[in-house]
Amino acid sequence: MAQTLTYLTPEWRDEAEKRLKEELSPEKMNRITSSMSNIYLKCPDGKERYLLFRFADGALAELALGEGEPPEAEFRISGDYEVFAKISRAELGAQKALMTGKLRLKGNMMKALKLAAVADRLNKVLAKIPAQY
Amino acid sequence: MTSKIENKGPYFIDFAQRIKNIQAAMHREKIDIFLGSRLRTLSWTLDAFCPWRSFVVIPAEGLPTAFTFVIDAARIADDSWLDEEHFRGFMPMGGQDQIELIADFIKENMKGGKGRVGIESGMSNYLPEGFLTHYEYERYRDALDGSTLVNAHTLIDRLALIKDEGTINRFREASRQVDEGHKAVYDALINGGYKGKTETEIAGIAALAMRRAGSEWEWSFTGGNEIASGYRTGLSAGACTPPTRREIRAGEPLMIDIHAMFMLGLGDHSHNYLIAPVSARQRWHADNFIAIVKKTLAAYRAGITPSKLAEEMMAFAEEGGFADYMVPGFEHGIGMMGDEWRIGLNDGAIPYWTNPDHVYRESELLICAMQYACPEENIGFRYENPIVIKKDCCEELSKFRLTVDEVS
Repeated sequence: MAQTLTYLTPEWRDEAEKRLKEELSPEKMNRITSSMSNIYLKCPDGKERYLLFRFADGALAELALGEGEPPEAEFRISGDYEVFAKISRAELGAQKALMTGKLRLKGNMMKALKLAAVADRLNKVLAKIPAQY
Repeated sequence: MTSKIENKGPYFIDFAQRIKNIQAAMHREKIDIFLGSRLRTLSWTLDAFCPWRSFVVIPAEGLPTAFTFVIDAARIADDSWLDEEHFRGFMPMGGQDQIELIADFIKENMKGGKGRVGIESGMSNYLPEGFLTHYEYERYRDALDGSTLVNAHTLIDRLALIKDEGTINRFREASRQVDEGHKAVYDALINGGYKGKTETEIAGIAALAMRRAGSEWEWSFTGGNEIASGYRTGLSAGACTPPTRREIRAGEPLMIDIHAMFMLGLGDHSHNYLIAPVSARQRWHADNFIAIVKKTLAAYRAGITPSKLAEEMMAFAEEGGFADYMVPGFEHGIGMMGDEWRIGLNDGAIPYWTNPDHVYRESELLICAMQYACPEENIGFRYENPIVIKKDCCEELSKFRLTVDEVS
């Protein structure tokens, strides 16, 4: 049985990077070149964190975890830590979280819609990481 | 609709210059950013038809960005002269609804995130005008805390009043398409062809011919093509007749008011018939109508005003003994799609109605529009034709013959 990792720790990030590279080929990622920051508000320790994904021609080029203001990205999705956690635990759909305003997206919606399917693939990989929140 | 891939040739409009002209006017009126919401403003700045709620944000410098319901954003971007980077789609999603998305964009494009925001507020007879609703106003006002929202639609209206050659050429082509519609209707009516046909069918015959000629749609919000027969032609003060399933009948008048659109330029022309047998009294009405249309068309020129023209025409009708049958208005405004109804600027005694003292200038475009109605005798006629005001005359864009045709 895989080791349980704490969500949004460096160890969890390393596992996420490994799985994304193994499971999502550039073809599966539609050879996109884009970037997206998840911004986690109200983390359990009171801090704000970000998780930045940067893809170049479909390949994961950067997965950065940090605190405070995230680097520039084409899309920014912000919401409470607990909302992201619920999505990762499959207790809440990302789409519903956005549609109900629990998550806020900044970026060009016309482009975002083109990336909806690949974002879903990406979230499914992350959701499979055994994690505690 | 229009398309980036089309070579616009004689229909080219310098939209980049239009935007610069707006920005110069904004600067003069100390407006830091302009939020356009009227259909006419969207057509005039984007060169795209925006059927869903849409907005255009014009910054102090640089290109505008348009926002529309996401389902149509890519199509509008494809139609417009602007590139895709200057379009956004909104939808019910956190951070992506029209208020939050646009308010954030406005803040990002004003120094310090605050300033004077030009908006479009007012009223209109034209239902899809697109003024900011009360609810939208309150939401934007709250979302743009620290900014001042000022009504600034006149800024666009002033610039859009005089038409450039590309715009006029689009109207000329739309009128040519309308003429094709009239030819098809005539061919369908003659030699007993009218028998069994309904108003809706006639509307469709015209629509097919116009679309074959390149028309994009029968743009008028009044029911597309307006067809009236019999008593419906003579409804008191009536100038709006969406077609019904009424059959065309012998001995009755028939009014064909059809609409074509070409690259947001609008065709709008009415032609009238009498279905045989025609009585002398019906012919008398028809001759009155033709006489006043000719008189009106001859009167239009730079310098004349709507009230002066109406006075002259009603005096002529009085002399001819048919003033009781005339609706005392002889025009309505027109511009690129969404610009309909009011003539000129909102500077008359009664706000948001045509200023009767508006002085026409060269290269203004309007619809010469007249309604003759005698409800007691179940007869009426309508004339509509886009005209361009010239120094000493007007150019009639539809070239279809000015007659009341008798068909059997």
